[in-house]
Amino acid sequence: MTGLRLLAGPDLASGAESDANHSRRLGAPKLSGRALIEALASSGLTGRGGGSFPVGTKWRAVAAASKGSPVVVVNGAEGEPQSHKDRVLMSTRPHLVLDGAFLAAHTLRAREVIVYIGEEHRAARAAMDRALAERTESERRIARMVGAPQRYVAGESRAAVHLIEAGVATPTTAPPRSHERGVAGAPTLVQNVETLAHVALIARYGDAWFRSAGRRGAAGTLLITVAGGVKRPGVLEVEAGTTIEEAVAMADGPSGPASAVLIGGYFGAWVAAAKAWELPLDAAALKTEGFNLGCGVVGVLPAGRCGVCDTARIMRYLAEESSAQCGPCFFGLRALSDACSRIAERGANRDEIARLKRWVVEVPGRGACRHPDGAVMFLRSALATFADEFAAHPAHWRQQPA
Amino acid sequence: MSDTLLWYTTRGAGAVSLILLSGVVVLGVLSALRVQSAGWPKFLTTGLHRNIALMAMVFLALHIVTAIVDPFTHLGWLTAVVPFSSYYRTLWLGLGTIAFELLVAIVATSLVRGLIGQGAWRAVHWLAYASWPVAVIHGFGTGTDALSGWFMVLSIVCVGSVAVAVVYRLGQGSADPLASARSDFRARVARRPDR
Repeated sequence: MTGLRLLAGPDLASGAESDANHSRRLGAPKLSGRALIEALASSGLTGRGGGSFPVGTKWRAVAAASKGSPVVVVNGAEGEPQSHKDRVLMSTRPHLVLDGAFLAAHTLRAREVIVYIGEEHRAARAAMDRALAERTESERRIARMVGAPQRYVAGESRAAVHLIEAGVATPTTAPPRSHERGVAGAPTLVQNVETLAHVALIARYGDAWFRSAGRRGAAGTLLITVAGGVKRPGVLEVEAGTTIEEAVAMADGPSGPASAVLIGGYFGAWVAAAKAWELPLDAAALKTEGFNLGCGVVGVLPAGRCGVCDTARIMRYLAEESSAQCGPCFFGLRALSDACSRIAERGANRDEIARLKRWVVEVPGRGACRHPDGAVMFLRSALATFADEFAAHPAHWRQQPA
Repeated sequence: MSDTLLWYTTRGAGAVSLILLSGVVVLGVLSALRVQSAGWPKFLTTGLHRNIALMAMVFLALHIVTAIVDPFTHLGWLTAVVPFSSYYRTLWLGLGTIAFELLVAIVATSLVRGLIGQGAWRAVHWLAYASWPVAVIHGFGTGTDALSGWFMVLSIVCVGSVAVAVVYRLGQGSADPLASARSDFRARVARRPDR
């Protein structure tokens, strides 16, 4: 399995590419500084951690912030349970990520680069550790590794900043956003590892080259994780704008008839399979349809598997992942999750469904971070996509493995 | 105004202040416990707490002003602000001054809570647990009526209600239902030592 750009080069099964190999294959980055920021802005590259925020805009904001010298946080927390693309990238192309990180540090005159990787992503941490040891002395001097606790919210940018600052990965209120005021009050660029790897290639080949990949009007490539009912689940690099049907075909096709697809992970949305196949994997296009690309998870639900039970399981997970800082999130998600569990366990109940529909509009927008909003968006999509299944659910509560 | 009337007003306003302040402390304790029921929404506790506190300030002002302008005492205005500066019952009046000044700090910080922030406000508000007992002792020590039956009954009811509320609160543990969940979660997302 190799990919188009980020995952091009030696076979991924052979592990992390060495610095020597990486430099020989790709040469040195050409762009940095102002020219790089302009190239990023016109490339159309967006953040690949889930927020899909335009990268050029973010870098401009950090460069324009005058307060203190900036900090770069390389975000490899990857807390989304179904996503694997960040750890695959770090384990196989660590120097691409580090190139992007140090280009950011150089361009923004950052005093520190903090590599923030999920604690249980052992292979990825080891590969990044070894790769860091191969970098130049001046780069190593400003870099350090910090482990991300294995919780869903730990990868959220302000939670990352709060862990680095205060040792606890809980989200804090925004504004101020991290790029305005982050680590030690300095403007802080928190950027996903895949995003930084794209930066490394744009610095070599330019923005026009980046846009030369992409279909149906989308720009560049992206890493996705195809999970669930496909013959070969795993991480793929696809052109932006590739439809879900095409992506599933690249994973050797569905393992059987599919009923729905979970697009974007646990903060994403369930979409009926017939509609999902046509959707393009592109942040902007999905947004116009009312969906989130998120971190690029495509979870295929086989026809035999119960979407209501899966929804109840995921809602329980998201309720338990509330950091208990805001009442509407902690109590709201718990109440929603309990109602889902009751339907899953005891069967359909019109009152419970009415209650769910009433509550889902009361929770969003009332937390310090967007955890409750994401969870509610997920639940609303389930109530719409599995409307018939919710209304006729038998009392079976299938404890299906994730 | 006749001198006798002034003197009665001082004593009456003092007793009313004791009742009101005890009520404020009880309501404050109850609001921290988030007491509520169908007929008693949470905002009623905090609303009453706030309004009765302001009313107590009015009666306290009456209590203090009438005591000072009373021609027989010659306390002087300094007594109202400088503790233990009075020639007359120096200790007991001084306690009254202290209780009053603590109360002024609590009320003033509550009025500008938005400006000073929740943390500072809360820290000052804890002074209520110093101000109220000092005021009660002041009443017992200096009060002309301290040994009269009605004042004894009143004092016992006031001290008893506050004691019951405080003991009940201590028995309830943390009033914030999020607190334990939050500290559990924070422990799980805390940084382990870097390798």
